[in-house]
Amino acid sequence: MEHLLLQNLTKRFQDVVAVQDLWLSVSAGEILALLGPSGCGKSTTLQLIAGMLRPDSGSIVLDGKTLNAVPPEKRDIALVLQRGVLFPHLTVGENVGFGLKMRGVNRVDRESKAKAILRQVQLEGFATRKPSELSGGQAQRVALARSLIIQPKLLLLDEPLSALDANLREEMQELILQLQADTGITMLVVTHDQSEAVVMAQRIALMFDGCLRQVAPSEKLYRQPVDERTARFMGGVNFFEAEAIGTCWQINHHQTLTSHQSTAGKVCVTIRPEQIQVFPEAIETVNCIQATVTANRFMGTQRRLTLTAQDFTLQAWTTPTQDWGIGQQVWAVLPPDALWCFSSAGTSFSG
Amino acid sequence: MPKLPRISTREAIRALERLGFEQVRQTESHMVMNLSKASEMRNGLLVLIIVVLFLPFLPLLVWSFAQGWFFPQLLPAQWTLEHWTEVFFGTARVAEGLLQSLTIALITTALSLVVGLPAGRALGMLEFPGKEVLKLFLLTPIIVSPLATLMGIQFLLIRLGLSGTLAGVVLVHLMPTIPYMTLVLASVFANFETGYEIQARSLGASSVQTFLQVTLPLIAPGVVVGALFAFLISWNEFLLTFIVGGGRVFTLPMVLFTLLQGGNNGLTAAVAITSLVPGLVFLVLAGRSLQNEAALGGLGNV
Repeated sequence: MEHLLLQNLTKRFQDVVAVQDLWLSVSAGEILALLGPSGCGKSTTLQLIAGMLRPDSGSIVLDGKTLNAVPPEKRDIALVLQRGVLFPHLTVGENVGFGLKMRGVNRVDRESKAKAILRQVQLEGFATRKPSELSGGQAQRVALARSLIIQPKLLLLDEPLSALDANLREEMQELILQLQADTGITMLVVTHDQSEAVVMAQRIALMFDGCLRQVAPSEKLYRQPVDERTARFMGGVNFFEAEAIGTCWQINHHQTLTSHQSTAGKVCVTIRPEQIQVFPEAIETVNCIQATVTANRFMGTQRRLTLTAQDFTLQAWTTPTQDWGIGQQVWAVLPPDALWCFSSAGTSFSG
Repeated sequence: MPKLPRISTREAIRALERLGFEQVRQTESHMVMNLSKASEMRNGLLVLIIVVLFLPFLPLLVWSFAQGWFFPQLLPAQWTLEHWTEVFFGTARVAEGLLQSLTIALITTALSLVVGLPAGRALGMLEFPGKEVLKLFLLTPIIVSPLATLMGIQFLLIRLGLSGTLAGVVLVHLMPTIPYMTLVLASVFANFETGYEIQARSLGASSVQTFLQVTLPLIAPGVVVGALFAFLISWNEFLLTFIVGGGRVFTLPMVLFTLLQGGNNGLTAAVAITSLVPGLVFLVLAGRSLQNEAALGGLGNV
């Protein structure tokens, strides 16, 4: 049962098509991430949904109601911009109560509701402060409170974490997820950071150049990306050619990999670096490839190795506790269910 | 009384440095800071400028209390209050001129705001073809001397039946004031964060509510400056009022003009000083409100 439905959405800016024929459906209570590089059209899509821009064609339907002709203030959609953007001439409490004031709620009720929600975002006692006195993280929390207090049907977050420091980011992620769980609100998060999208959303809609490339749960985008560009955007680093005959993929003259995906012809194979298992000695298992360690980088929570095999290189991300020497002979195991391919032209075969 | 903010010593030193102080010496936790030479020179220059600006007004002030003041006397031989009684209670039509000037200036300011706000917003926030040409076009009433266009304007106003009327004078005053108002507001809007309006709309505010409750308070410094320009331009306008008003619209500059030809220097001086007062009042009020805005952190725009 869809809560938000975008049909055939198109938006042009002079010669540039920012959003092309977009179809997307979001279920009630779902968190969907709109992911893509800058300029892909995700912010434009957000603005179209919020009502700040008019689409050239297509429609936006929220809870059964077509929103095309509805002005932004009547759409019951709250938008939180990248940097909070609190009204500098109002106090924190007045900022939070702004939406309620626009809805005709009296001052006493506004103030008590604002206090309650400020407590929810862990900013109790901040009501009389001015936005200029807040840190980035605090301002962001006030912006969230300001949007949630009006209980909108849909919450749109435009890159909510990109303006925050790395350590604040995790706290904010936790808070947003907690608030969503408490309120059950439908959320659409726009981001360019795939790791952020994976943490925050249940489903990811990946956009390139104004079009949706793949819409799937986060794990599927990692393990079964629809093409090489998608795989690379999601952080994939291992790509090599193979000749496929069913589930036997020949990667060079004498090495064959066994996969779970059955296909035929020239393919581009990819495997996620964290899926590769590295052993100091050869072991009796399928897809065991001999390689030399040519680079070794300690990354804190993982160790990144570059393994050079006969005609290709692999990047493997392993547990940080085990160390490897440069030039050391190792055996890399590529689990069959971790192998994924798409044709050299770019589209994948359903496996 | 509200609680005073707590700041660190480092912050205090930085604040003082911003005010022009510099560190002279420090022994352990005791630091001596004096106004730097550059600061002292700057302050001295400021005093000099203020003196130079106010110097011309001194003779005026003296004249307004003088019975007669002739060269080579350093100060008038006789003092009198008759000029000032003439201003307040006399027949020189000073009160009439004052009121008329005030009315015209206030109407002109209000109308230039009504035109300048949407125009400034369009120029500052939107992109459209011919924008730069339009900006230049807006400057023409300032670049071109009113004398050059006056004949044409007077002709038009006679045709419209507005010559010699208050409406005609106001219209003509709008010629120099609208460009100033629009350009000031355009620069304010150019620096205006569109996010504020977007957030307000998203939270349920209509365009009107957004403008009144969010945009206007945030551009207030710009509005004050623009209004100040408009008021002062209209208040001091003589030539346009004289030609278009044709003597029937009687403003304070006209009073002054008449008096100047009369030769009563004392009375002229008194009226001249009177004509300064509303402008000064407006300026002080504007300065006060700008200070408040600065305290709120909204002054970055102007």
